[in-house]
Order: sequence, then structure tokens, then C-alpha cells
Amino acid sequence: MPETLDAALTDEAVLATYRRMFAALARDSGAVVDDPALVDIAETLFDAFAEAGEEWLTHEQMRYACRAHPTDRFENRLRVLRGLGAIREVFPKPNQLRYRASFTSVVGLMFIRRMMDDGGQSEMHRLLALEDLNVADPRTTMEEARQSAGNLARAFRLWALELITLTNGTIEELREQAPKLWGTEEIARRAQSLHGTILRRWPALDRTCTELRAAIYAYSDASRRAAGRLADSAGTTRNLTLLPAETWRTFAQTAPKERLAAVLDGFVFDAPAPWHDPAAIATAVDEAPRPAPVRPAPPRSPLPDSGPVESAGDGVAGLDRLAAVAESALAGRTAVPLEEVLTGDWASMRRVLADLASADLRPELPYRLRWSDGLRADPAGHPSWSSDGTLERVTTDG
Amino acid sequence: MAEPEPTAAPEHARARAHGPLALRLAEPAPPGFLRLSHGDETVVALPAWPDGATPSVLDEYGVAPVPVERSGETRRVLAACLRVCWTDLSAEPWPGVPAEISDVLACYRALTGRGDDMTRSWALGALRRLADTGWILRSGDVVRLGPRCATWPQESHAVLRELVRRLPGPHPADRRPDGHPDGPAGAPATLPLQESGPGEPAGDRPPGAARDETSPDLDGLLSAYDERRRAELVAAFMAVEHAAEPVHEARFAALRDPALRRTLAEMLARRGRTLIQRRDTWTSGYDDTVAARLTGGPGGKAGLAEGERAVLTLVLVHSVAIPRADGLLPEDTWLSPYPVAVEELRRRTLLPIGELESALRALRQAGLLTQVKAVSEEAPGGYVPGPQFHRLTAAARRRLQEELILAAGPQTPLAAAIRARRA
Repeated sequence: MPETLDAALTDEAVLATYRRMFAALARDSGAVVDDPALVDIAETLFDAFAEAGEEWLTHEQMRYACRAHPTDRFENRLRVLRGLGAIREVFPKPNQLRYRASFTSVVGLMFIRRMMDDGGQSEMHRLLALEDLNVADPRTTMEEARQSAGNLARAFRLWALELITLTNGTIEELREQAPKLWGTEEIARRAQSLHGTILRRWPALDRTCTELRAAIYAYSDASRRAAGRLADSAGTTRNLTLLPAETWRTFAQTAPKERLAAVLDGFVFDAPAPWHDPAAIATAVDEAPRPAPVRPAPPRSPLPDSGPVESAGDGVAGLDRLAAVAESALAGRTAVPLEEVLTGDWASMRRVLADLASADLRPELPYRLRWSDGLRADPAGHPSWSSDGTLERVTTDG
Repeated sequence: MAEPEPTAAPEHARARAHGPLALRLAEPAPPGFLRLSHGDETVVALPAWPDGATPSVLDEYGVAPVPVERSGETRRVLAACLRVCWTDLSAEPWPGVPAEISDVLACYRALTGRGDDMTRSWALGALRRLADTGWILRSGDVVRLGPRCATWPQESHAVLRELVRRLPGPHPADRRPDGHPDGPAGAPATLPLQESGPGEPAGDRPPGAARDETSPDLDGLLSAYDERRRAELVAAFMAVEHAAEPVHEARFAALRDPALRRTLAEMLARRGRTLIQRRDTWTSGYDDTVAARLTGGPGGKAGLAEGERAVLTLVLVHSVAIPRADGLLPEDTWLSPYPVAVEELRRRTLLPIGELESALRALRQAGLLTQVKAVSEEAPGGYVPGPQFHRLTAAARRRLQEELILAAGPQTPLAAAIRARRA
């Protein structure tokens, strides 16, 4: 059972389409299903058959595929479908357990769905294209062309009549139905070209062609009227819904710049005119991101401190000091053993050794330390042990 | 009123749509305008506001004005322009003297303490926005104060004077004699800066520069009212004309009271404008006939460049037409909560990318587009139609929809019906 009024209306619309489509074939007005669920059963069955492939389906399998529907409905539906030949035994034998589906019925169902979607617009397109090919075919006889033109004229006239009725009816029904029925200029153009072809080839058919032409004009006119009434009634909100979203997307993606721009040709917009109030300007200046403040110096000891100036820097002064230390150690000689130099307390020995090692590591200074493998130990002395090492002055020009 | 006052609705509408009117040297300005002549060939006219009001009145009513893009930066750069162009503080800021752009940039650098390239390009962007909106005039490397600087009311000049006095100059060595760039706030207002603009002596206006207000066009309507009602009318006028969004009638007596509202509508009509109501809120828009004359006449499309119009159309299609076709947007409005991603515009349209970026910028600045920040993956950012779309009249909204249908589905019967009705 439909749960809401909307759902009920949708179901009713679906059924109305079925009834209209099969009206030509029905024996009496009760011959068409009165519940959309019955169509769903058929569709579910066809899906199941498509999946089953050459194995076909047994009665149990069909029942399983339609398990969402009550048993009595399923049986009822299956009986009808079998009676009409939409589902048949694989081999026409008694006690046959396997069934297959009819290709024609599946195609028919596809056709029904399409008719419901666009109200037959695409069918009309196909029909016109086919007829166009037919009348151009040299084998086509005048009689066939007359029939073709007559059929088309009838279709257009009926289509136009339905539109006219809708146009005079309620606006809701018009909004619902008309977009499926009204023709695009493309359909009218195709029909007219078909009409032209027939008339050129068989001038004797001018009477039939006049009728066809009148039917096409009536249809175009009815389409325009229906659209006009809708456009008038829709006001400023509903009209955009009358073009499908896909049309809008295609337009956005394929329209060249000029065509897009032309939409707004007749519109006036304001030039940008922001107001800068003097107070706001002053505020903006006050809130300006301030320059990064100068980083404060780390706190210094209040005691006098000669600072890093006298340390062994990279400067010339540093090199001079190292040279002075080395020269005082050499005392005029070209080489001196370290044991002679490293005397006094630990602190002064360490300082001298560090300075000499620094001088050794400076390629621009001519002093090198040479170490040998020997180790002199003197437990009572100070220092108690020392490596054998010599400080040398190297001559670069020698 | 005894005799009808001369009005100039189309001229006012044109000035609103295309910026200050350019006049010939001897051409008088229409009523209700402020005529500004620079003493050379340049003569422009700006609409004058009634009773000396400015859009600042919106603040008093707690109504947001049209947002200014990068407002802080833009205003700081304008302050830098004032600092170098307004050399004689005893005179009014406008017209000032021409100055080199390099001086403005140096001043801005001193103001922000940042000299990097990004700061510089931001400042240049702000200069461009100021020039686009008439706050400065720029030709090559020279800037001057623009006509909109002449709309600052006299009583607000003191604030600006005080501001300019405490701003650092473009050349650090070039301090005022007291060596105090942050001069005392109480310095006499007539003290001129001791520097002069390049090539121009500080002091008087350039010969011939003049600021004239033409006959007020709204006085006749306002004079019938006592002071309080008059102030209410002016406030409502400024609010509907300059607020970003429609204003609620509860805040403005002149919108609530039908008689006052009628006068307000007449005031607007003299400016080529009309009231637009949406439930309890009001704004103003172009009068349909005035707008038609404006677009029909010569230079009708001068407002937006072709690329800008194309981008705007794309945003309207994506954020209004498509959601509406999907049944998501039932109301009669061209504003929308459905943003279109920049990627969509960049990748899936025929627009050149370079043009897209500059068009988006211009449209944003004009309030024709609003940028929406991404909130989450489900709600990515993008662009929606801006607050200017509040200002479309019912007829304009309808026409916009018809134009879109004609463009997107010219073959459909809907388009045929629209063409037939127009014929």
C-alpha cells in the first residue's frame, strides 16, 4: 500500500501510462494491472532470468527471486505472464520444471519505461528519422509514403489535441505532463523536412502533405501555448525547473564566453564603491601589524668582563696571539720538546697545550706538533705522565 | 512643494553603476551631485548624500555596510597615500598634490615595518582596488587623491589630520624639524608638514581645483518634515542604498511608517532607484525603466567586462539554476546556499583560466560574488551570487531567468514562449 499521498499519486501516474499504452490492445478496461507492484514482479523476474543465463529458472527459483512479494500475488502474476507467453517452459512437455523469458516482453518493458520518462519524445525522434530514411529509399512506393504521412499527421494531431486540453486544464497537471508532450523545435524541423521530401518525390501527394503540414503547425502552436501558459503561471520561481539540470550543465560546459556574457547584457549592477570612514582608516593604521621588535640582548653580569674579545677568534689578532704563544715556547729554536714547555700548574699547562694544538691546526701558521709513540711516566713528578711530542717551526720556503 | 525640483535620475543611476561621472570642462553637474574639478582636464561628479550624511551612519543603526575587501590593508595604503599627497594640513585633504608611487610604498613600508616582496605586492593590490573605486587616481607612477576623498565631511578632517601627523614619512631621514614623527596630538591644526611633494610646492590647491555642490535634489522632499523625521528619512535612505543586505523595517521608522516610506520611495526615485521589499526587510535597486535606458544607451555594457559577465552567468547557473532544477531552491531569489567550486569553473568551462581569476576578483570586490569558505569535505567552498542580487527588482529577477532560459535552451518551447511574449 502506498504510504503517502505523493506516493499514491506517483503510482496512479504510472498506471495511467500503462493503461494508455495498452489501450489499443486491451479487451476490456479491466485488462490492465491496477497495482504498480505487479509490474515490479515482472521486472524482478526478467532480471532474475537475465542473471540465470542458460540454466533458466525453476519455479522455486522464480519464487525466491520474488520473495519480497506475497505468494498469492506472485502466483497470480506468473499465471498471467505464462498465459500471455512472456514466460514459457524451456521444453513444451508436461511436468516441465524449467522456464525461460520472452525477449519480446523484455524489450516491451524497456520501451514502457522509456515512454514513461519522456512521454514518447525520443520515440517520435526515432520514428521521424526512420520515416525519413524510408521515403528516401528508392524502393518505397507512393502508397507507402501516403500511409507514412497519414500516420504522422494523425500522431501530431492527437499530440496537439492532448496539449491543448492540458493547456486549458489545471496548471498542476500542465506542469506535470506538458514537458513530456511538447515538442522541441528539432521535432518540428524533422517533420517538416520529411514533409518536404515526400512532396518533392510525389507531388501528387500534396493533399496528404497539406494535412501533415497543418498537423505539424498545430502541434508547434500547441507546444508554444502550453509553454507560454506555464511560463506565465510559473512566475519567477518555477520556470527554471522546466529545463532539466542536464541542460544547464551542458550550457555551462560548452557555451563560449560571448554567449555566457550575453545573458547579463541588459542588466545594471553597482560599481564597487566601498566607504572608507576616517575613523576606520585611523583604526586600520592602529591595528597595523607592528614591525617585529628588536630582540633584547640577554642579561649581562654586572661585573667587569672583557668579554669574548680576547678569546681565540678567527681574526688576525687571534692568529697573532697563537704565533706569540708558539714563539715564546720555542724561544728562538726551531723545535722544542713539549715536556719543556708544559710546566707549571694544570691550568696553565692545559691552556698552553690547547693554544699549541690550535696553532698546529692553522695551516697559515708555521707551527706543527709532532707526536711519537713513546710515553714517559713519572709517578712522583708533575705531570705524572706525558706523551713524547715536539713543537717545530716549519719553514715554508725551505 | 511649490515647484518641482530638477532631478537627474538617469545620471545618478549611471554614477552608481559606472562610478563617478566624467564631465567636460565647462559642463555643469546635474542636481544632487558634487562637482570636482582638478584644475586640469579632469572634471568628475559624484552623487551627494542628503544632509551631509555618509555611509558611516549605518554604524549607528548596527547595520553592516558593504564589506571592503582586505579592509585593513586597503585603508592603511589609503593612509599612506594621504600622508604623501596631503601636504598642506591647513587645507582639506582633497585634492592634495600628486606623489610618486614609490613614496606611497615607502610610507606603507615604514608604517608596517615590513619591506618584503609580499607586503609590497599586497600594497600594490590595495592601490589597484583604491584606484578602481575612485579613492585615488593613478597614472603611471604618480598617484593623486581620488574624487571620493572629497566626500569626507569637514568635521571628520580632524581625525585624518591627526592620523597623518603621526604617520612616518616615506624617507626616514626626512623627519619634521622637531624630529618627532609621532608629534603631539595637540599640535595646532594649521601646522603644515615641512616636506613638500616631489615637484609641487606645498600649500594651496592646484589652480582651478574646485569642489562645488550642485542644488540639492532631495531637499524639497525633506523640508516638509521636522528634524527628527528628516533624520529618520536620511538614515533609511542611506541604509537601503548602502547596507550590504536588506535592512529590517523594525530598525528604521521611515521604513515602518507608510507615509514616510512613500517619501523615501520618492527620494529614491529621484536617484533612479526603487524600494525592494522582501518580507519585513527592504533594500533599493535600479528602477526598471531607468535601468533599461541605461543599458540601451551608448556604453550600456560598460559596467562589467565580458569575461566578468561570463563568470557571473556561470555562477548563477551552477548555484541557482541547477539547484532550482533539482527542486532544492524554491524561493524567488538569486541568492543561494549552494556554492560552485572554483575547480568546476576552471576545468569544465571554456573560459581562459587567467581571465577567470581576475574576473572572480573584480566580481568579489563589487559584491556580485561571495566567496564561501570550505567547512568540510561535504561542504566544499566556492562562490555564490553576492549581496548585489538582493537589489534586483521582481521584473529584473524574472528577466534574468528568461535570459538564462533563452541562452541555455534556445530550442525549447519555453524559449519560444518567452520570445513570443516579448515580440
